[in-house]
Amino acid sequence: MTTTTAPAPVRTVRRAAPRWWGDAGGVAAGLSLLVVTALWVSNGGARELAAGGSGALTALGRLTGLWASDLLLLQVLLMARIPLVERAFGQDRLARWHRWTGFGSFGLMVTHIVTITLGYAAGRNAFAQLWDLVRTYPGMLLAAAGTALLLLVVVTSMRAARRRLRHESWHLLHLYAYLGVGLALPHQIWTGSEFTGSVWARAYWWTLYLAAAGAVLAYRIGLPLWRNRRHRLEVSRVVPEGPGLTSVYLTGRQLSALPVRAGQYFQWRFLDGPGWTRSHPFSLSATPQPDTLRITVKNQGDGSARIAALRPGTRVLIEGPYGKLTGEHYDGGPVVLLACGIGITPLLSLLGELPYRDGEATLVHRVRTEADLAFRAELEWFATRRGVRVVPLVGSRADHPAAALPQVVPGIAGAHVYLCGPRDWAAEVRVAAIAAGARPRRIHTELFEGP
Amino acid sequence: MRRISLWLLSTVAVLVLLFSYRTSTGASLTSETVAAAPATPAASGETYTGDTVQTQEGDVQVVITVENGKITAVSVPVHPSGSARHDEISARALPQLVEATLAAQSAGIDSVSGATYTSGGYRESLQSALDQAGLAG
Repeated sequence: MTTTTAPAPVRTVRRAAPRWWGDAGGVAAGLSLLVVTALWVSNGGARELAAGGSGALTALGRLTGLWASDLLLLQVLLMARIPLVERAFGQDRLARWHRWTGFGSFGLMVTHIVTITLGYAAGRNAFAQLWDLVRTYPGMLLAAAGTALLLLVVVTSMRAARRRLRHESWHLLHLYAYLGVGLALPHQIWTGSEFTGSVWARAYWWTLYLAAAGAVLAYRIGLPLWRNRRHRLEVSRVVPEGPGLTSVYLTGRQLSALPVRAGQYFQWRFLDGPGWTRSHPFSLSATPQPDTLRITVKNQGDGSARIAALRPGTRVLIEGPYGKLTGEHYDGGPVVLLACGIGITPLLSLLGELPYRDGEATLVHRVRTEADLAFRAELEWFATRRGVRVVPLVGSRADHPAAALPQVVPGIAGAHVYLCGPRDWAAEVRVAAIAAGARPRRIHTELFEGP
Repeated sequence: MRRISLWLLSTVAVLVLLFSYRTSTGASLTSETVAAAPATPAASGETYTGDTVQTQEGDVQVVITVENGKITAVSVPVHPSGSARHDEISARALPQLVEATLAAQSAGIDSVSGATYTSGGYRESLQSALDQAGLAG
């Protein structure tokens, strides 16, 4: 009887996203704004604006309306989880831009409504005119409903409101933005002077809308569905790592084909009963293996307690992988990994993947108490096998100010720096690292909201 | 889960209501056109009444008076009105369109800027009147 030993499947590491992808994306976004502006100018917009009077107000209203909807579409694209875009910019940056363009486009939309109404009223009662516009013009009732929905989304996204809402409620309300954007489309095609007159302009606008809708359907719904069907992840082992800390090992089919790198995260849904619809972002806490993934979760009271009670065999749904805290730009040389609390998880997975040489890596782990120093055995292994210098910093942040960074890690100036921890801590340490001579381009961060 | 279904259901219900409104399927309600006094026939010559043309901004109908194969007078009994903006556009655009018609003696006239729909409806109605009069246009 002969036995054939299959070669161990090797995980192929994805190439780095070329830097020009980002530039190309920026240029495309700028071009889309330029096209609608050109459309407006060719329709006599600039001339009418210069002529003054109520015509100028109407012209200004048309321009702000065009910009507002263009920005709305860009916003949708920013959050559509398009892999190219995700890899070029990273999700925390995209989310920040999404927020800015959101408030920007809302401001333009309000300007659009005010100037169009005043322009059409031509000095008479503006409220009567607004009512007339909503009531009688094609698609305008829908547009008014869309405006109300977008207003709802903007109000619930302001920091004060956001703090009071549960994340799920906020997210559910946020989905109404899609409806709002969609409801605004008919009035543009049917009553917008830029589109009613020209087939090309209409075709361009439809293309933009369909591309945005298509991207959302493909990458936010289609791709995750396909990945979950293909890989069928399930819990294989649940291991307590320390006080309130649990590791979950996952297996699935063809995991080596899942394009994930160390340092990345997924949105996880465990099908363990009611409440499974809520997803949680967790980083991989070990280098992804061809047949196993591992996450480590800290119990923060928001449903993460359920993780400890997971049973092997539980089905798991994922969205992702996401995140730019990867080794894709690492080209050798010293590495400094700086973790705060549970932020150590993606750095642990990077420790296993980055091709540094013996003695080139330093891991600094800042925790509040001795008991929070998890993964001791694993770190011990890295220290003896790969010469990683492990520096635990126990105590409050005041005990270990960011300014002391050069003393803790003398060689930080020439190193690749990987940072993971709560937002304000990471910002502080980033500043300290740059002050100590680290090159901003070589500092990689993943931010997460602290407990 | 039950709350989400409730939200979903009410959203769909509101959408159905919204789309049952006339303007939500592309129609316009701005046909409050003033059927002004019928065009006073000119002293001599035949009058021809063009079709009533529906536009985004409201209906337009042109009446022409033809004498010896020449258009001698144009009136526009039906035009967009009923709101400040429509009154303003009509008051500005119609005299220009009439003047251009008398000069060109055809429907081949330019649109008045800022009154694209009214101009288009005007041309179409004028053409139908010219056809009735047997003028080449």
